[in-house]
Amino acid sequence: MKKKQNENKVDKGISLFLSIILVFCTIGVVVFSVARKLSVEMSEAAIQNLSESLDLIECTIEAILNNEAEYQKIMAKEIAAMDDPEEFIRTYEKNQTMMKIALIRAGEKEGISSTGEVFSEEGLNFSSKGMIEGLDVSHSYLNYMGTWAYAMKCPVEKDGQNIATLYVEYVFDSLDRSLPSGFYDGKAMLYIMDAKTEKFVLKPKGMGERNAGHLNLQDFYRANDINEPEIREEVTKCVKNGENIMFYHDIRGKSSLNYMWMVNNGTLYLTGYVPIEAIQQEGKTVNQNIFIVVCVMLIAFFLCCMLYYFNQRQQIRLRKEREEEREIHNKQLAEALQAAQIASNSKTTFLSNMSHDIRTPMNAVLGFTTLLAKDAENPDKVREYTKKITASGQHLLSLINDILDVSKIESGKVVLTIEEFTLNDLVSSVDAIIRPMAKAREQKFHVEVTDVRHEYLIGDETRINQILINLLSNAVKYTPEGGNIWFRMIGLEQRSAQYEHIRIEVEDDGYGMTPEYLKVIFDAFTRAENSTTNKVQGTGLGMAITKNIVELMGGTIDVFSEVNKGSLFRVDLELRIPEGMADKLFWKQSGISRILVVDEERRAVNNIETLMKDMDVAVDTACDAGEVVHRIKEDGAKDLYQLVLIDWDMHDADGLQAAENIRSVIPSSVPILFMAESGTDGMDEALHMENTGMLSKPFFVSALKEKISERMAEKAGGHTAGAVEEGSLEGLYFLAAEDNEINAEILHEILTIEGAGCEIVENGQLAVERFMNSQEGEFDAILMDVQMPVMNGYDATRAIRKLERMDAVEIPIIAMTANAFAEDQKEAIKAGMNVHLAKPIDIELLKKVIKQYT
Amino acid sequence: MKRKCGFGKAMAVFLTGIVAFLVAGCGSEEGPVRNLAADDEAEERMVNMFSPMEKMEPDAENTARTAADLTVVMAEEKLGINVAYRTYTAEDYQDKTYDDVTLDRARNDMDDIYLLNPDTIMILAEEEKLMDLSGLESAKNLRDVVKTANVVDGKLVAIPQEVVAYGLFINKDMFDRYNLELPNTPDEFLECCRVFKENGIETPVGANRWWLETFVLAQAFADLYNGGNTEAEIAALNSGESKYSDYMRPGFEFLQEMIDCGYIDAKKAYVSEAIEGEGADFLAQKTPIVMAYWGAANSDTAYGRPDFNMQVIGFPSSRGQMPVIPMTGFGVGINAEHLEDAMQAMDIMLSDEALQVYTETNKVISPSKNVQVDCIPALKPLNDRIEENIYVLGSNAGMKLEQWGNTCLIVRNLLNGATVDACMAEFDKLQEETLKK
Repeated sequence: MKKKQNENKVDKGISLFLSIILVFCTIGVVVFSVARKLSVEMSEAAIQNLSESLDLIECTIEAILNNEAEYQKIMAKEIAAMDDPEEFIRTYEKNQTMMKIALIRAGEKEGISSTGEVFSEEGLNFSSKGMIEGLDVSHSYLNYMGTWAYAMKCPVEKDGQNIATLYVEYVFDSLDRSLPSGFYDGKAMLYIMDAKTEKFVLKPKGMGERNAGHLNLQDFYRANDINEPEIREEVTKCVKNGENIMFYHDIRGKSSLNYMWMVNNGTLYLTGYVPIEAIQQEGKTVNQNIFIVVCVMLIAFFLCCMLYYFNQRQQIRLRKEREEEREIHNKQLAEALQAAQIASNSKTTFLSNMSHDIRTPMNAVLGFTTLLAKDAENPDKVREYTKKITASGQHLLSLINDILDVSKIESGKVVLTIEEFTLNDLVSSVDAIIRPMAKAREQKFHVEVTDVRHEYLIGDETRINQILINLLSNAVKYTPEGGNIWFRMIGLEQRSAQYEHIRIEVEDDGYGMTPEYLKVIFDAFTRAENSTTNKVQGTGLGMAITKNIVELMGGTIDVFSEVNKGSLFRVDLELRIPEGMADKLFWKQSGISRILVVDEERRAVNNIETLMKDMDVAVDTACDAGEVVHRIKEDGAKDLYQLVLIDWDMHDADGLQAAENIRSVIPSSVPILFMAESGTDGMDEALHMENTGMLSKPFFVSALKEKISERMAEKAGGHTAGAVEEGSLEGLYFLAAEDNEINAEILHEILTIEGAGCEIVENGQLAVERFMNSQEGEFDAILMDVQMPVMNGYDATRAIRKLERMDAVEIPIIAMTANAFAEDQKEAIKAGMNVHLAKPIDIELLKKVIKQYT
Repeated sequence: MKRKCGFGKAMAVFLTGIVAFLVAGCGSEEGPVRNLAADDEAEERMVNMFSPMEKMEPDAENTARTAADLTVVMAEEKLGINVAYRTYTAEDYQDKTYDDVTLDRARNDMDDIYLLNPDTIMILAEEEKLMDLSGLESAKNLRDVVKTANVVDGKLVAIPQEVVAYGLFINKDMFDRYNLELPNTPDEFLECCRVFKENGIETPVGANRWWLETFVLAQAFADLYNGGNTEAEIAALNSGESKYSDYMRPGFEFLQEMIDCGYIDAKKAYVSEAIEGEGADFLAQKTPIVMAYWGAANSDTAYGRPDFNMQVIGFPSSRGQMPVIPMTGFGVGINAEHLEDAMQAMDIMLSDEALQVYTETNKVISPSKNVQVDCIPALKPLNDRIEENIYVLGSNAGMKLEQWGNTCLIVRNLLNGATVDACMAEFDKLQEETLKK
């Protein structure tokens, strides 16, 4: 099809090209014909024009010659009548035409002349037999005046008898006065040539170029480069026969019309040339105008062709663009369709998986409840069953949470909660969760923090935590037992002083992933392997959630993996550094200005130095205890340090031994803290040493501060502020707003089990009314569902808080809702609730919260 | 899309412009009916100038003529006149000579201005057919040599546009080929000719019927003009105390020897016009020596572009190489039809401004003291001698016997077979006739 279209285009182009050529040829032929016709006509007109001019000059000269002859005849008659003709001759005075007259009596050889000397016919040549009005005319000759002349002889007859001959000498110069003063605007050349001698006897004034003078015809030929024998022969023949001749020949580089024009039956010839441009002045203008018109037409035609061409090209381009757009559109549609199909397939698969995954714990729940009903009398079995039911319920809950998260992220409803946090808390909480999981699978979990300059940062700790838990829990899941998991937090070079650039790496030496799976790992509803055939369970949403959160924070996530070698996830984040966090005052108040770090690992030492940089606390380091002992003994500065940190995991020395050695040189009042990974065994003996403690690795300033605070509090004999004893709900009475009967019943039962009482109302309105009607102090707290008919939880809370009672503002209102998102929490706090608990109710958490607010 | 619109607009503007142009071109100027015949202006002011015509080669520029034309055009433009050229040149030796025709025309008052050779200047001055030009403004700047040559009976009768110096045109390459030094004396010259002849150069000296007299004049008057006793010697000649024949004899004997030895082809020279006869052989390097005037070295129509190293030196004489300066000049007919215009035209054509143009164009020696240009290298030897004031006048109005024309004619007799003694007798006769007047 396309080929056929191309062929059509080529055919169209060729026909267009041929059409243009045809038009050009037609114009060319027409112009050529017109030009040729004009040229021929102008040539004929030029010849005609020149012929007429020459005829005019010829007639003029012949008229003069005839007049001269007539006058001479009259003079002869008068002389015949005179008594003394000689006297007449002697006294004759020359005029401009007749320079000399002479008379020879019949039968005599000599006579007299007007110039006085004896005259004979000897110097004259009448052999050419030229005649003017019947009088013989001589060859031309240079006369006594130095100018070209000719003579005519006329018989003097008296009474019918020839008594003498009258000779009159005429000069050619006299003809000049009767000729036009210019010939073709002075551009033409004209000579009068004596036909017999071929001498040029007159060059009339204004005829031709001034600096060119010619003697005779041969000289004319030579000077004008007329060397063609045929032309010369033709000219000679015409002169001999007394005919006119005209021919084209270039004269001094100009195309010229040369002529030999007979005068007086060929005794004289007008000889010369006229440049064609001098004759065809108008023709030249006409030709120029034709040329201009043709040029303009051609240009216009060419421009039209160009216009057409550009238009066509534009059309083709537009068509092509449209086709390309259509193709792109089609491709996009196909891709969208494919994506939709894939998504649909994924969702189908996901639903299938979910169905399986939900059914599995649900099956457990239902199965164990059946067993529970059956074995209700056996407390051990009941406890075992309820434990399993709880585990299945927890799994179900995590599944539902993930689904909700994906749903929210996809609909763009996720809002980050930006707050200040410490990396210590982050790492600690992650460590607390992951390490037991890793330990359960006998995996080694390594936590490394390097080059981080600031541990107090601003960001969404919960979401970062979620990222880390997702990545690390995956690492635990997809690493076989006995494998290794590395969790690294690396401080990269800061791009801005206000932001800490942190790289988080989660690496394992587990199963790894195929390249194909790596391409889709961050897509929702995908799993490394179908979970129905895999022991590893999951929703298939974790990575999609992780990637979306990272991008929401403006960070990047990359993954590198090889099957059976392991995987590396790398997350780069830029987190804002809070202003004025260097808590120098704490250290001053604590009396700590110099500490000693004993660690053989240089990187760890550097990390401590970096983090302690802005604290106004000097950090001395040593590789081992021996060095410390030696240095202190040498300096004698026992009281130099207010705190000693010793790495518990040094290869070369036992931590306990090192501590004892150091203790021997420093006072017992100086605390020694052992830095060890949480859960490290074998520290009991060391911790029994006086004034010692443990600091979890990796090192964080906040952790150290906390530890120092604890020790200071211990020293002061008080209890730790953070220790909140979990109490029972015994004796407490709650107002609970819950529209769902089952939930209301569960709540009632749980509270009853815990020794607390509660009154349940069905909606917010009733809750408000009940509280209004209650005695002050009747309820210890209000447990408020959010989604309820008549009045929702938020409105009810606001209404309660507005009530004019002392306890309306103070009474703890605890949101207990299935709306489990951060926004829901915010909304709850905003409405005046004290705390937000997501359903299903975690009774331990509830107890903790109630204890906190009551 | 935007580009297309711009192109389309430009095209539209262009086409509109073309249409407007064509429509405007079709319009015609209409005016009231009036007489379209142009009346002739007042009668044209004419000056007729008679001068020789040099035969033209196809497409060759005649620089000598061009230079004169430039001064003529200057006069035409400044005076608003039209100078008409009248020319004559003999076809062959049987025709009347230019000088003959000049005399005829001047005597019959045919023209206004004449370009005159030295002998015709003398003849016409004596016949009082020429105007005294000493009153012209341009005459005040003339060199003394010019005045000396052209003052007759106290009247300045002719003024040249260039000081014409004759010399020997030498093919230096041929001299070098035979290890010949450039000749200074007649004997050295004859020796050179002998060597050339022996080496197969058939005719070592190319000659024509006009200019062989220069050999004679150089030898005759080398001492007279350069011996420090010029005036006394001229006075002796004018009084008949000294004989011209005594001065002329060595030169004629020298020419006779040249003819006898075959160094000159006398027969050919007798019928040859200037340059036409000998020029082709010289340029073809068949003849190593010719004689010609200064301007021939600059002119394309003469020896302007030789294919060899050409040098122009003086004629051999007892005082070394001797330039011969015959003074030509423009004269004005005393009865000229357009006398006033002719005199004014002369004043402009001979002014320093015009002579500067002429001299620069032709690279010649100017008659004006105020005009000087460098000569071409070939002319340097000749120019050096003139700069040293060593030269012989070819004509001198102070001498009663005209030499340039007479010597020329008598040399022709020698060429035609007359003996040296017969020629000397002719001089004696002429001197006698002249002194009788």
